[in-house]
Amino acid sequence: MNLWESFLVALDGIRANKLRSGLTTLGIVIGIAAVIAVVAIGQGGRALLLAEMEGLGTNMFAVHLDWRQDSLGELRTGREFTAQDLVAIRQVVPEISHLAPISARTAVVRGPRSQGAAQVVGTTGDYAEIRNLTVARGRFLAESDQAGGRRVAVLDGELAREIFGRQDPLGQRVTIHGVPVIVVGVLEEKKSLLDFLGMRYVYVPLRTWQYIFHEPAVIHQLEGATADREQVAEALQKTLAVLERRHDAPGRYIGSSLEQEMEIVGQATGIITLVVGAIAGISLFVGGVGVMNIMLVSVTERVREIGIRMVVGARRRDILVQFLIEAVVLCLLGGLVGVLIGVGGAMLIAKLANWPPLISWWTVLLAVVFSGAVGVFFGIYPANQAARLDPIEALRRE
Amino acid sequence: MIKAENLWKIYRSGTIEVQALRGVSLTVNTGEFVSVMGPSGSGKSTLLNILGCLDRPDAGTYLLNGRDVSGLNADALAAVRNRHLGFVFQNYNLLPRLDARRNVELPLVYAGVDSRSRRELALKALSRVGLADRADHLPTQLSGGQNQRVAIARALVNRPAVLLADEPTGNLDTRTSAEIMDIFRALNREGVTIVLVTHEREIAVYARRILHFRDGMLQRDEPVE
Ligand SMILES: Nc1ncnc2c1ncn2[C@@H]1O[C@H](COP(=O)(O)OP(=O)(O)OP(=O)(O)O)[C@@H](O)[C@H]1O
Ligand SMILES: [Mg+2]
Repeated sequence: MNLWESFLVALDGIRANKLRSGLTTLGIVIGIAAVIAVVAIGQGGRALLLAEMEGLGTNMFAVHLDWRQDSLGELRTGREFTAQDLVAIRQVVPEISHLAPISARTAVVRGPRSQGAAQVVGTTGDYAEIRNLTVARGRFLAESDQAGGRRVAVLDGELAREIFGRQDPLGQRVTIHGVPVIVVGVLEEKKSLLDFLGMRYVYVPLRTWQYIFHEPAVIHQLEGATADREQVAEALQKTLAVLERRHDAPGRYIGSSLEQEMEIVGQATGIITLVVGAIAGISLFVGGVGVMNIMLVSVTERVREIGIRMVVGARRRDILVQFLIEAVVLCLLGGLVGVLIGVGGAMLIAKLANWPPLISWWTVLLAVVFSGAVGVFFGIYPANQAARLDPIEALRRE
Repeated sequence: MIKAENLWKIYRSGTIEVQALRGVSLTVNTGEFVSVMGPSGSGKSTLLNILGCLDRPDAGTYLLNGRDVSGLNADALAAVRNRHLGFVFQNYNLLPRLDARRNVELPLVYAGVDSRSRRELALKALSRVGLADRADHLPTQLSGGQNQRVAIARALVNRPAVLLADEPTGNLDTRTSAEIMDIFRALNREGVTIVLVTHEREIAVYARRILHFRDGMLQRDEPVE
């Protein structure tokens, strides 16, 4: 008897007990559907997050202070970065293409009619290059703004919309922390995943920032970018070395790069995938036990059929294959239905949450292959029980 | 065709030992029609199962078509049953979910015959037992006599050397029994070798020889004139 015949016979066996077969595979269906859906949503989220971070600029890095006290017990003052540091770093680290000092604080931004809270970022023109900011109207901060400590500001798109509505903000006056400034630029609105945080930004020249908040010479951190992604690590390391040497303060400065952070995101999603995989594995195991159980019932119920088949010439192998295929087909059907439900569920959730699902063909393939493997693993024992029956005894049983 | 010598079969359950066959020797020639008679428990079915390669003797030799089959393993015995033997049982032993034709095809499935030839051979076997028009009926849609005829067609379909029947009329009324026995007789006239187990003398006399069993032993070999 060839495999195709065995397959037809097995299919017949499943069809004879449709409801029971359906209920039996439920465990597999749910297991596979859960894996497919969660992996698809997870992959989609991860891809979105990484793309977003990439959009920020993968060749950027930041240097900030380790705010814990150092070994000398010296307190941080916020003056650990100096304007001269930037000049020195630019000279010593040729890999750096852009470098910007940054100070930031939340304050109320008041427009002619309405107001809103925003993160006020004091920086220089380089910041737009480092962060890949795109100007929709007007311009970003310029060198001359910084040098003259001009009272100008650039609003991000969302803030501009909230304060000015349809009005043109360019040339208008807003007050930041009570200090009036003129809007010279508006950034493009970003359709961002991270936007749910609702953070709004306004950019002013660093010297203006220091004036607004009465914090002369305070620089919170540095951000820089290299021309090439591969140079980031080296540039960061060199920058830290320069700072430590100039201030004779080893360990005071810490660096981070988007590259590192993306790696962490990648690792985190990897762990999530692993956990989901383990849960799915358990549910598939439970599903497999269910299939094994029902196959054992099926074998007992069909002892007579097995006996008859043996009498007319079925070898043990034929019986084994028949029941094994039945178990595998049962699991594969469960797997396929699970894939359909999982894909459908992922798409539904994605639609509701405005999140692109990422269904890779290998996830689907793996799920189907795995459910088939579950069938083999849990089907072999019942099938072997069937094949080991003695024809005479089988015929005698009712 | 069949040459069995000194067959022993002993069943043990715990300390109780049942000697179902105690040194049975017999020969059935090609084209013969032999009945086996005897009281209940005398070992008729045990003998038929051994002759039918469903069971193995504990001692003795069994030559089928000149080949010693008493030492074959399970799969080899399955192949022998499939190619050389046909079975008819008292309770028909048809698969309830398959129609008559597909029941008859069953031995051919395990013989590896392709589906078109299978259908042809099955329909031929069914018409031979007068059931050509019931090929797509399920066992539940057929009478006992008709089911037994399907079973005979199934036993015949692989052109076996020997047809073995264990009380094939046990579940049937007198008239239907006669019909079934007429089929056996006709088949025998066409050259099929038949060994038939029965309780009833009226059935046994369809054969040309009756083997009388008692307590696991062949007691008498009675020719029917
Ligand atoms: N599997 C078995 N285990 C134990 N004893 C058995 C087994 N099969 C048969 N026997 C015993 O062997 C003896 C012969 O049984 P067998 O079935 O051959 O009798 P039989 O002549 O066919 O009887 P009947 O006319 O009632 O069918 C009986 O005593 C029976 O109890
Ligand atoms: Mg009997």
